[in-house]
Amino acid sequence: MTPASRRYLHPEAIARIARLELRARAVVEGVLAGLHASPFKGQSVEFLQHREYVRGDDLRRVDWKVWGRQDRLYVKEFEEETNLRLALVVDASASMDYASGPLSKYDCAATLAASLAWLALSHGDAAGCTVFDDRVRASVPARTKRSQLASVVEVLETPRGGRGTAFLPVLRSLAETLPRRGLVVVVSDLLGDRDGVFQGLRFLRRRGHDLVLLHVLDDDELEFPFDGPTRFEGLEIAAELACNPRALRAGYLAALEEFLAESRRRAAAARCDYSLVRTCEPLDAALVKFLSRRARMPA
Amino acid sequence: MPTFDFPALVWWGLPLAAAPVLIHLINLLRHRRVRWAAMEFLLASQKRYRTRVLLRQILLMCLRVAAVAGVVLALAQPRWHGALGQLLGSGRTSHLVLLDDSYSMGDLSAGDRLGESSAFDRGRGVVERIAGDLAASSGGHELTLARFSRCVAPPAGGLPRPDLDREAVSPALVQRLRDELARAAPAETGTGPRAALQMALDLFSSGADSGRVLWLVSDFRSRDWKAADEVAESLRRLAAAGVQLRLVDCAAEPGAGNLTVERLEVAGGVPATGVVVPVEVAVRNDSGRPVAGVTVELREDGAARPGVRIDDIPAGGVAARRFDVRFSTAGSHLVDARIPADAVPADNLRTLALDVADRVDVLLVDGDADAGRGGDAFYLSTALAPGAGAPTGLRPRIEPPRALASLDLAAFDCIWLLDVPRLDPPEVAALEAYVKAGGGAVFFGGPRTQADTVNRTLHRAGAGLYPVPLAGPVDLGHAADGPDVRVEDHPVVAVLSGQRNPLLDAVRVDRYLAVERGFEPAAGAGLRRLLSLRTGAPLVVEQPFGAGLVVAVLSTAAPTWNNWARGNPSWVVVMLELESHLAAARRRAESLEVGAQVEVALDAAADAHEVDFTAPPQGAVVHQTAAVGADGRLVARIPAAAAGGYVARWKRLDGSERERACAVNVTPDEGRLERIGRERLDRTLAGVPFRLDDAASFEPDSNALAGVSLLHPLLHALLAILLAEQIVSFFASYHLPGGRRPA
Repeated sequence: MTPASRRYLHPEAIARIARLELRARAVVEGVLAGLHASPFKGQSVEFLQHREYVRGDDLRRVDWKVWGRQDRLYVKEFEEETNLRLALVVDASASMDYASGPLSKYDCAATLAASLAWLALSHGDAAGCTVFDDRVRASVPARTKRSQLASVVEVLETPRGGRGTAFLPVLRSLAETLPRRGLVVVVSDLLGDRDGVFQGLRFLRRRGHDLVLLHVLDDDELEFPFDGPTRFEGLEIAAELACNPRALRAGYLAALEEFLAESRRRAAAARCDYSLVRTCEPLDAALVKFLSRRARMPA
Repeated sequence: MPTFDFPALVWWGLPLAAAPVLIHLINLLRHRRVRWAAMEFLLASQKRYRTRVLLRQILLMCLRVAAVAGVVLALAQPRWHGALGQLLGSGRTSHLVLLDDSYSMGDLSAGDRLGESSAFDRGRGVVERIAGDLAASSGGHELTLARFSRCVAPPAGGLPRPDLDREAVSPALVQRLRDELARAAPAETGTGPRAALQMALDLFSSGADSGRVLWLVSDFRSRDWKAADEVAESLRRLAAAGVQLRLVDCAAEPGAGNLTVERLEVAGGVPATGVVVPVEVAVRNDSGRPVAGVTVELREDGAARPGVRIDDIPAGGVAARRFDVRFSTAGSHLVDARIPADAVPADNLRTLALDVADRVDVLLVDGDADAGRGGDAFYLSTALAPGAGAPTGLRPRIEPPRALASLDLAAFDCIWLLDVPRLDPPEVAALEAYVKAGGGAVFFGGPRTQADTVNRTLHRAGAGLYPVPLAGPVDLGHAADGPDVRVEDHPVVAVLSGQRNPLLDAVRVDRYLAVERGFEPAAGAGLRRLLSLRTGAPLVVEQPFGAGLVVAVLSTAAPTWNNWARGNPSWVVVMLELESHLAAARRRAESLEVGAQVEVALDAAADAHEVDFTAPPQGAVVHQTAAVGADGRLVARIPAAAAGGYVARWKRLDGSERERACAVNVTPDEGRLERIGRERLDRTLAGVPFRLDDAASFEPDSNALAGVSLLHPLLHALLAILLAEQIVSFFASYHLPGGRRPA
């Protein structure tokens, strides 16, 4: 990542780029400056044949059993190694509208999703996207064509209704509609139907999908820096609370910490790669952090 | 039950304690609205901490209400009456009553007329009311009473002695106080509040009293507050030490005005037997309107003599009249001048003491002892003592210059130095010591006077007693018309002043001693001209030296360089006036002020040690034995407690009797009845908490001042409340790491 890209990928800078596609391009170009190979490869692809090892091949893909039998080095080749199917699932519920800075949580989630789609498509992989709240609002299946990014962006920019969240039906129907195993990336604040999201993730896992959960939270939600008499009105929950925020801060942060810990624990149980994304941090940094961890994961 | 020194503050201030509740209610109405996603955590927190938060907020509110109430109560200065108060302090309140007894408190004004009671009577009533109220109120009280005149150290030495010194207030004490006050009267002193306030500072700097109250009972005249900064500073220090200041004004407003005999003094002449001595009496009118026809009653040695009438005294002004006295016997004599009764009696009388001699010696030091008739000494001695037909009381004694070092110069009324060519250092030293002590010296010039010698030995660049540096003799030259001599504005030659004086016009000056060219007297040297020449050059100049005066006549006494002494009557008149003028400084020193000590110095070798003093006003005889003082002198003395003539009589070892009179007078300024007024008092005491009452409507309200002051316990409690408020606030507050401001 170059210093210039770092300067331009700050949330304030990204927010000034009105079009999502351009925003995604800005993020990805920053990311690509630091990556040399496609990060999308993994367990969901099927074995095709062996070929003899040539210099430069990844040693992790050497078939050591064949070497043990024949004393020659072969690497395994997979059927769709360069045609991964990336399914982006973005939460567009009302709670994602909260913004303490220039980008709301949904803006941040959409930018991340578009950036991942760009990244996949630029490596010849297929990318699709589903935007949902209490039901699927818009969807596009995974494709590798050049115009696919525009389709993904169009889905992400679908007008939103400010409704609640229903993860389980959405993820269940997604599992049923995805034709082949692929990488499913869920981008959400996990506020609302918390049991549903992990049940849905477990369901996807059972179908053989590789799972990533990007948990987007605003800085205000993480630090609760409010002062003075305040009336809080729920974005998804129909509740109001007039209080002195300073008095409730400790209890709030304790409950939040419990929520985060539970989310991590349940994501791990569903063998889902969990990552917390703060809306204040540069998106490329969040993306690089996530992709770097993916690259270190065993194939 | 608690009481408050400033109860009005409680009623006006306590509603402020509701301010935190009001602020809370206002805040409830102006909630900020936030649309929030993570409501479930907020609701969980609220459910979990609801009771704790509520209790903490109620506690915080209570602490803030208590803090405001505590500040209000502290400002109102609460006191606790009752046994419980003993746990908090001694429960004893110390009261210091300072009663002004300067003679202006004798003011009998009642509106614009004279009344029956004086300001001092009202002040006495105030003190009695304070004591009575203290005796009737709860709590322990100690009372110290000091009249102003007893707050100054006695002239004989020792410490000031208050009338009552920290005595527990009881009905018996109140009765004793009444009896003592009934005998008290205004002193004839002009003692202001400064010494009294110093006593207050000393008194209140020690002791562990729970309450301290200073009662300043006075007439608050402007004169007493001339050093207002100093008085205000004392009161400020007392207030800072927790002393409550209660000022009680006893003067009547408006006053009836007052006349004061401001001066009674010898206006010239020589106090010798058979010689007429002019005396001047001056009366000051301190009222706002002119006063006409004031008769001044006069007495000589206690015997009435015809008085004088002063026709008109302007408002706020002074008018003077002269009259002549002549005593036929040598010794001390007293002259009294009294004006009719008015608002303040004490300043209606003034006394003058005159030491009358058979003859008064004057010393003529002649530089030419062989001159005889026609010399300087001849002409001067003829002027000072013309002969039996015109007694002046003076006895000239002609001596050569060396006599200055050998004679007792103090025995001479004045010393005249006539064309002396030079004086040796011992002679100069003796002469300077004589003048410094208040004597008078006159230098005449002449052909033997050497300018260089005068400048070097007598003028000494302004350090010596000769007033001017000399350049040398100069011829004046003749003028076709006009006098050679011009009269300057000076009392000695006032008799010659006027448009044209034929006597002075006849004076011709041929030669004189010129003053060095470019000479400028030092600032503040006090050089004055008496006569000048037509050229503008000085002829007669005067300059103070120490307590005395030196006059330089820059020409001859004999008609050598001028013709003044040759048959011109003005010569005699001016020389006699000059003699009186120069001797006046020694004569003025005889008047003392009330409060000082009258003393006579005795000769241990010639006088017995027993002295009888006859003291005014009743002529009581006080017997005193003379004692040797620290300065080695044998002195008998008594304090001058009243104004009038004091006469000391004692016997000499040879059996003869001696007596000496001394005049003791009041300070005339104390008779000025101008008042400081509430407005100026407020301005002077800006920032000092005090309460000013009028004696007529005065209520001591001592009960409010009794008991244990709760101020300090309250301040400690307030500190604890504020600390607790901060702690509770801290735990209820939210502090972002790194100093970030909350959203």
